[in-house]
Amino acid sequence: MPNKHKLKNRPKNLNLLTIRLPINALVSILHRATGCVLFLVLPLILITLQLSLSSAEHYQTIVNLMHSPLIKLVLIGLAWAFFHHFFAGLRHLAMDVHWMTTLMKARYTSKIVLILGIFATLIFAIALWF
Amino acid sequence: MLLELLSRKYPGFRAWLAQRFTGLIVAIYSVVLVVRLMCVQPNSFETWQSVFQPWWMRVVSILFWLSLSMHAWLGIRDVLKDYVPNTEVRGVAIKVVIILLWACLVWAVWLFTASFY
Repeated sequence: MPNKHKLKNRPKNLNLLTIRLPINALVSILHRATGCVLFLVLPLILITLQLSLSSAEHYQTIVNLMHSPLIKLVLIGLAWAFFHHFFAGLRHLAMDVHWMTTLMKARYTSKIVLILGIFATLIFAIALWF
Repeated sequence: MLLELLSRKYPGFRAWLAQRFTGLIVAIYSVVLVVRLMCVQPNSFETWQSVFQPWWMRVVSILFWLSLSMHAWLGIRDVLKDYVPNTEVRGVAIKVVIILLWACLVWAVWLFTASFY
């Protein structure tokens, strides 16, 4: 039977700013966060797809919307969310079949995932803006 | 043993495997879509419609959305289990997610079988 008093006095650290996240944890939590964001934009994707496919006028409206810098920034943010989730997911699949599972290798692949996500987003951003 | 793991006795393993499998399908579809967009290079309403017009593109798009729904459901369910300790609040949140995902799935199937393109 654990001592209730002792349980209550266990140290708590709720100040998130004092936690230094290891790179693997960073990739992991970003995988989660980006997954949630992508889930939330599913209806937006569907409405965009439907409008752009349904008639030439609506298609033009969507194209015009995409010329706005604010929308472009949002799209670049969403593209990063997608690319990060994509590459981090592939990393998870690799680890499930026991590739790159030691600590040093996992840190290395975490770096690769972060870099690939940013790199793919850059390509997307350049293609979108020019 | 492997086949036994797939039985109803181990729902956790089934969920784990389904999460990976559907994730793989979503990833493959994403690559297919990017390649198709690079091949067609849509720059007008007609070419944009032609991206999704072929019957095989409609079929894989529906398969994609089925996988995506399952994948999102398993992922969001895990997130809610981790961060919403109150079981009543979580129950409501999970129901909202289920309704949203079903609505999106029905919408997507309707969209990919629609005849306006």
